[in-house]
Amino acid sequence: MNHDRAEIVEDLNRLMAEEVEAFLRYFQMKFRLRGVERLAAEKLLDEGTRETLEHAEAIAKQIRVLGHIPQLKIELDLHASPTNLQDAMAEMLEVERQALDAYREVLPRVAGDTMLEDFIRKQISVETEHVQEIATLLE
Amino acid sequence: METWKEFEANELTHSAAHHLIAIYEVGLEYGGWARVSDVARELNITRGSVSINLRALKKRGWIDTDQHHMVKLSPKGQRAVQSVLAKKAVVKAFLTNVLNVPEPQAEIDSCKVEHLISRPTGEQLVHFMRFLVSEDPLAKQVLDRFRNFHDQCPETRTCDVCQGHCLIQELQQATL
Repeated sequence: MNHDRAEIVEDLNRLMAEEVEAFLRYFQMKFRLRGVERLAAEKLLDEGTRETLEHAEAIAKQIRVLGHIPQLKIELDLHASPTNLQDAMAEMLEVERQALDAYREVLPRVAGDTMLEDFIRKQISVETEHVQEIATLLE
Repeated sequence: METWKEFEANELTHSAAHHLIAIYEVGLEYGGWARVSDVARELNITRGSVSINLRALKKRGWIDTDQHHMVKLSPKGQRAVQSVLAKKAVVKAFLTNVLNVPEPQAEIDSCKVEHLISRPTGEQLVHFMRFLVSEDPLAKQVLDRFRNFHDQCPETRTCDVCQGHCLIQELQQATL
């Protein structure tokens, strides 16, 4: 395996960590929310947990295709502080924006690998949609 | 307040201190500004985590951000970083130069206490180190005597330092 390929696997492991962390944040956020708004937000947070886990799995599959085992390295301490819908959405927007930027950063590095390029482009498209959706809710 | 609770009440947590230091170090090449992605790489954590942690640092006035999501230490953040780095440097120098602790261990231990020791303690440690390296013949003698001091615990396993509990024995049994 050449050096570039090793770096791509490292990039994919990082992307997977972003998604798994986002999953855990969505999961916990559901229980941090207070107030009647919580009911309205639950569906969105459930969607968030489902989609981030799907993304993590999709990335793991790409790593496997490259002949590697996904390496998950996360350090996370999610404090049990209550929050309101506005702050929760602002936090999730931040996480989604970072995921989007992370995918954008990886795109030029996979140029030439049709399969990976298509995969990353698709993820950018999906993440862009998420960011816009949450940003709209915060307007 | 009980002493141990002061750790919890410390405004600058270990994590916050490391985020600030990472911003400082990454920013050295870019006029103080750092990207979230570079801070994440420096700390070896995800961008999502960095980004959420930076929100808390911004609320406390440690950092400033711009419209491109670049981050920079605020004057308050700069003072905090300088203070933490100074404390780390003096503790590490004390551990390596005086206590003869190996450098890698001194790096770890100084990192653990860098944001916890108080300013007066840090200052006194600097004064003490300055005394030890001063021209005062007694200082040199103290340092030389200490370096050649081969300590042996008395058979009773207690002394003026330990006062009933053999500290060496307890440290040797400790797993940390």
